[in-house]
Amino acid sequence: MADSGLKDVPLREVQVEALVVMRIIKHSSQAFPSYATGSLVGMDVNGVLQITNSFPFPTVDSTSSDDRHDNSNSAVAAPRAKSNVAYQNEMIKLLREVNVDAQTTGWYLSTSMGNFISANTVENQYFYQKEPNERAVTLVHDVSRSSTGSLSLKAFRLSSTFMAAYKEGKFTTETIQKSNLRYQDIFTELPITIHNSHLLTSLLHQLPAQPAKKELSIPADLASLTHDPALTHIPLAPNFDSLELSIDPFLEKSCDLLLDSIENHHNELNNHQYYQRSLAREQAKITQWQAKRKAENQARAITKQTPLPEDEWQRLFKLPQEPSRLDIMLNSRQVEQYARQVDAFTASVSGKMFAVKTNLLPGELA
Amino acid sequence: MADDDSFLHLARPLNPATIASQPSTAPLTVTIQPQALFSILDHASRKPQDQDRVIGTLLGVRSEDGTEVEVRNCYAVPHTETTEQVEVDMDYQKHMLQLHLRANPKEILVGWYATSSELNTFSALIQNFYSQQGDGTWPHPAVHLTLSTVPGKDIESRTYISAPIGVTPERAADSCLFIPVPHEIKYGEAEKSGLEVIAGAKDREDRSQMLQVDVESLERAIEQVLELLNRVSNYVNEVLDEEAEPSSALGQFLMNTLSLAPKVEPADVERDFNNHVQDVLLVSYLANTIRTQIDLSNRLATAALTMGGEGAPSTAGTGDGQKGNQNQRRTAGRGQNRSGDQ
Repeated sequence: MADSGLKDVPLREVQVEALVVMRIIKHSSQAFPSYATGSLVGMDVNGVLQITNSFPFPTVDSTSSDDRHDNSNSAVAAPRAKSNVAYQNEMIKLLREVNVDAQTTGWYLSTSMGNFISANTVENQYFYQKEPNERAVTLVHDVSRSSTGSLSLKAFRLSSTFMAAYKEGKFTTETIQKSNLRYQDIFTELPITIHNSHLLTSLLHQLPAQPAKKELSIPADLASLTHDPALTHIPLAPNFDSLELSIDPFLEKSCDLLLDSIENHHNELNNHQYYQRSLAREQAKITQWQAKRKAENQARAITKQTPLPEDEWQRLFKLPQEPSRLDIMLNSRQVEQYARQVDAFTASVSGKMFAVKTNLLPGELA
Repeated sequence: MADDDSFLHLARPLNPATIASQPSTAPLTVTIQPQALFSILDHASRKPQDQDRVIGTLLGVRSEDGTEVEVRNCYAVPHTETTEQVEVDMDYQKHMLQLHLRANPKEILVGWYATSSELNTFSALIQNFYSQQGDGTWPHPAVHLTLSTVPGKDIESRTYISAPIGVTPERAADSCLFIPVPHEIKYGEAEKSGLEVIAGAKDREDRSQMLQVDVESLERAIEQVLELLNRVSNYVNEVLDEEAEPSSALGQFLMNTLSLAPKVEPADVERDFNNHVQDVLLVSYLANTIRTQIDLSNRLATAALTMGGEGAPSTAGTGDGQKGNQNQRRTAGRGQNRSGDQ
């Protein structure tokens, strides 16, 4: 059947058109500092998911009863909202008339400092990925990392073990022990390639990425040098933002975010401990009650009366529910994301610092 | 862009009715954002075989007095064109406009585009349609952007606004005078990194580029700087050898640039450098330690629950050394209380 045929070829990588990259960047930087979400359309070719177009979602107004949801939550929940599903379907119908690919291939999300792993993200991706014939990824664009020089765009899918567990909806300790699900397994990351069309390539060759073809005449004086538009306005000039040396803002923000994650972790742990304490209390009460019942029954056996049922405790005492472990797992995955970012940052910053130090202290071969 | 016609743009009031009341509402400059341009090119590559050109709507913002128009977004509109007549799907255009306005209420209709450079009567008809009252851009003139997409030749872009022209009002309905307007493509700060990756793909065979890790892009930036420095030092050497023409302007510029290097004491440099490195390494170490501890606590929590309810929480709560100790003391105390109750 066609369905099983498609499922047999797992997605290996994601190919993103330059157009989609530019649109995502523009939407994300416009919506900064709140989150921006939108939908992706494209096609799946032989295990490579090609994303050819995208459009932003309108932010859902939180006029419903959940007034405590702030703007960021409503934006991240946008792909799932009913009005936006209708919006997406209409857009795709219209786009199909102009020969744009009509298959939904996922959604994109903008974030800052890697702060995107939340219940909302997982729900959205699950919403897309639960269709039987789906090919959906989450593209995450990190605005703050991209401004430091290199484009930060990642593609994620939910792993199949996590999908199965999420469908059940239970994340208790036993289910996790059985399925051996670790927090690292929630997302699988796919490599991304950027692809240009022919027309775009010819445009890029045309824009003066290198200096003018003919010999530039020697400038007459300093003023003409600084104000000559042919020299100062060079589109597609190499981007030297990555040579910035400032580390404090990044380190401060990372530490703040790590502290928040630790707090969340402790809150979750306290919840679990509270659950276990109340569970133990209930268990103690139950055993007490059972002992009493047994004693009563023995007394009644002596006086030849019918023994009372011993399993009434199931109706009298209600065991507390175990809280879901999903939040702890998401939080741990988020911490891992921060740790990875800090590592990447350390790698490039230490190189830069050693270079600058050698430059300022010439003659020292460090 | 290649082969721009040079023209002198005189901004004149366009609508005779408004001469007395307000100054010209004609745009003096049009700026185009790169993603709108990319979108037009993408649409051009998808056009049906039997058509020469495709058209679409431009969305953007206009300054208060109408002199600056910025094109931010665009979408395609299906249309059919034969030698005798042209049909534009107006419902589609209205519907799409509504959808786009829902997502981005600030980007309004500013004009339309076509993917071939010619201007004929059909262009005039469409232009009048876009400039009309009601759905159009009235009282501001609609901006018309043409992008020539002949494969093999350079891509030329031109922007125009229109003025009505005609002997009678009926003739004026389907002709107009296209006035070229200067335009430029502006890149925002955020788009630089994206454009760099996209431009990196232009020299490769399959027109694609993998996204690179931070360290690799750093390496590329440093190589480019080295190349620039090489060129400048070659020039300076040639001037010293009297092979190239000296220039006081360049010399001044170079001196200004080189004097930006800070002059610091070596001891200060050592100390600051050590502090910097320590900060970075400390945060990196902390992040990884936190990651390991949380991993450990997760494993203990899910694995050790078979041993009993009280052993696990105390060992799982070691997110922080001290806090872990407090937890242990507290749960041990509670355990004693409970056995006291029974």
